[in-house]
Amino acid sequence: MLFNSLNFAVFLPIVFILYWLIFKRSLKWQNVLLLVASYVFYAWWDWRFLSLIALSTLVDFIVAKQLDKQEKTRIRKLLLMVSLAFNLGMLTFFKYFNFFIESWVEAWQLSGVQMEVSTLKIILPVGISFYTFQTLSYTIDVYRGNLKSTSNFIQFASYVAFFPQLVAGPIERAKNLLPQFRNHRIFNSDFALSGFYLIVWGLFKKVVVADNCAFFVNQIFDGAGGYSSAELFMGSVLFGFQIYGDFSGYSDIAIGVARLFGFSLMTNFSFPYFSRDIAEFWRRWHISLSTWFRDYLYIPLGGSRGTMWLRIRNVLIVFIVSGFWHGANWTFIVWGGIHAVLFLPLLIRQKNRTYLHETRIGVNHLPRILLTFILVCLAWVFFRADTLSIAMTMLRDIFSFNSGALGLFYSSSKSLLFSAITAFGILVLLWYELRTVQKNKREVMLSTYQTIWIAVLIVFMGVYKNPSDFIYFQF
Amino acid sequence: MSLFLKRIGFILLVFTGVSLLVSFASLWAMRQGSFYKPSFLENQVEAPSFDYIVLGSSTGLTTLNTRVIDSVLGTRGLNLAMDDTALSSQYLMLEHFIATGKQAKTCILAASLLDYDVVHTRLSGNDYRFLPYGSRDYVQDYYDSFSGNSARVLSCSKWFPMIGVGYYNAELFYPSLISLFDPQKRNRFDAFGNYSYPVTLKSSEPIKGRHELAMEFQNPYIERIQDLCIKHNIQLVVYLPPHKQIAAHPIETSFQIINHSAILQDTRYFYDVLHVNALGRQKVSLRFAQEAADLMGL
Repeated sequence: MLFNSLNFAVFLPIVFILYWLIFKRSLKWQNVLLLVASYVFYAWWDWRFLSLIALSTLVDFIVAKQLDKQEKTRIRKLLLMVSLAFNLGMLTFFKYFNFFIESWVEAWQLSGVQMEVSTLKIILPVGISFYTFQTLSYTIDVYRGNLKSTSNFIQFASYVAFFPQLVAGPIERAKNLLPQFRNHRIFNSDFALSGFYLIVWGLFKKVVVADNCAFFVNQIFDGAGGYSSAELFMGSVLFGFQIYGDFSGYSDIAIGVARLFGFSLMTNFSFPYFSRDIAEFWRRWHISLSTWFRDYLYIPLGGSRGTMWLRIRNVLIVFIVSGFWHGANWTFIVWGGIHAVLFLPLLIRQKNRTYLHETRIGVNHLPRILLTFILVCLAWVFFRADTLSIAMTMLRDIFSFNSGALGLFYSSSKSLLFSAITAFGILVLLWYELRTVQKNKREVMLSTYQTIWIAVLIVFMGVYKNPSDFIYFQF
Repeated sequence: MSLFLKRIGFILLVFTGVSLLVSFASLWAMRQGSFYKPSFLENQVEAPSFDYIVLGSSTGLTTLNTRVIDSVLGTRGLNLAMDDTALSSQYLMLEHFIATGKQAKTCILAASLLDYDVVHTRLSGNDYRFLPYGSRDYVQDYYDSFSGNSARVLSCSKWFPMIGVGYYNAELFYPSLISLFDPQKRNRFDAFGNYSYPVTLKSSEPIKGRHELAMEFQNPYIERIQDLCIKHNIQLVVYLPPHKQIAAHPIETSFQIINHSAILQDTRYFYDVLHVNALGRQKVSLRFAQEAADLMGL
């Protein structure tokens, strides 16, 4: 079920009414309702893959219970391995199996050996990368002794499948979300309203910004070429706004929906395009994933301890694995690698924490913000392109500076119209974000009248006839 | 909870009010302009009666030039064909034409060749162009007769026009702004409703081996158009436009047919497989004028 669908517009009020009016007095039944609603939400896409979520839930529930009982390190390690093997095995099979086979065959072909290997037709279950990481964080935290295992299966299953963030995050830690399923929830009007406002803002980002950008991005990236350097560069910039509007819009809706049910989810995006260097960008972009990798990969690898070479190795590994997490394609690995290359000079010069505490953004930061934004957009080319060769060709054409013509954006009345809508949507987005950043707030907080204005913009500027799926569903 | 519900209620109320206001204004602006054919017919076409009108899809729009035909025959014609429309839309356009109080002696139906035998009809891509007249019964009945998302959207727009205007915002809301500032602005057709494709092909090659297509006119809207014509004393002439790959062979029918599907023998007359270019249009319109003179009793 998509957040921007009519089905969800019917589903959400029904669950909300049942939750707060019928099951208001019973925590247990509220959790059962959330679990059932979450499974219905997921089954709307493909009910067959519900079994994977249920299985993952069951395995991690049992493993965590056993971890709490066991004191022998060897057995505890073994139990952790069971959870890792199951979750990562499932992820590898559904997401990476064909990639590994194809890469293996291509590697042999490069050395002149022809191989005939058939791949499997595997459907990627929506959200598998998100919920496997969420359940893994629970098991690892229990293993580390940072969290007590839960004995309430319904609470745990609701935590794993919590529908607002099930298919595209934020990837919540058990430490933050699980206790919220244990506590009795009291309806807070202001909190719920802030959630409603965030839903409207998230819909604006998705339906107005991302989907209008997609009109040009799809032409440029899926087209047969022949675009000028300036058009290709604009394509990468618009994809930057598309993926941001799409993904952060989804996160905002998820956080907003969770608030309607009395849950607080972590901030996933904190105005990343106002970052002044790549290090700051990664503190603002997909925060739930970058902190997951920090806590469960970077720090276990040694983090920023040890020699400079070890630190460089750790950063490289984290960025490349992070890129690979996004998809089974070399383009994502290269994308991760590029970010590592952009990050490493800051690490070596020990400048990667320059803006950690300097949250206030001034006009003097504009050149740095622009430079970071352009670098991020150029890296997005690898993220969006279907193959490495397409991405390389596109970057080569951008840097050939062959022409500054931007005919694609005004050659017909339709493209001129979409250019105007897209530009206006992006300006509205940046305007509200800039005001929020200047106030040092974590999220855009709309007033009642601003919400109405944004809702009207959604109706008259959104894309409805040919809407795009949320990009992160494929991850 | 009551504070939350009050605030949400207030937001929904104001939002609905503003959206309704904007969409009603948008549809009103469309009705004052001439951007699409339905409002062009209402606002820019002053003559009360015509010797013939052309109904059809993009093939009708770009094949028959009423200026050429009228200069040869001394008639008064009007091209009401719209691109990306099916026979069902042509039926709706005929109803719309009649509803405006105008009259025509002959109706030239110039739909796509393949459309005549479509049995299961669907809403056409450009039927939203009638939405400014959605409060009229014949338009509402038409939208109600189809299933699917787009049809539901248009059908619901009678009471909640923001659904239709929002869904088709690029096609209705923004053009309504144009209509507001320039009511004379037309969307790619001239003062007689004609449009032509440019000559882009430089090569000239003979066309060989067209597929034979037997036409039985099974589309239910043919009969409805015919009935409507009879009811309003309009002569129906079906025109089969030139096609690069198809030679049509219609069965015997009760209406007159002008079959030009295979009259052009050179690729230089075509813009693409389905459509003639400006050269082809000129040639075909002249030929049509010769043949139609007898049929129209001129």
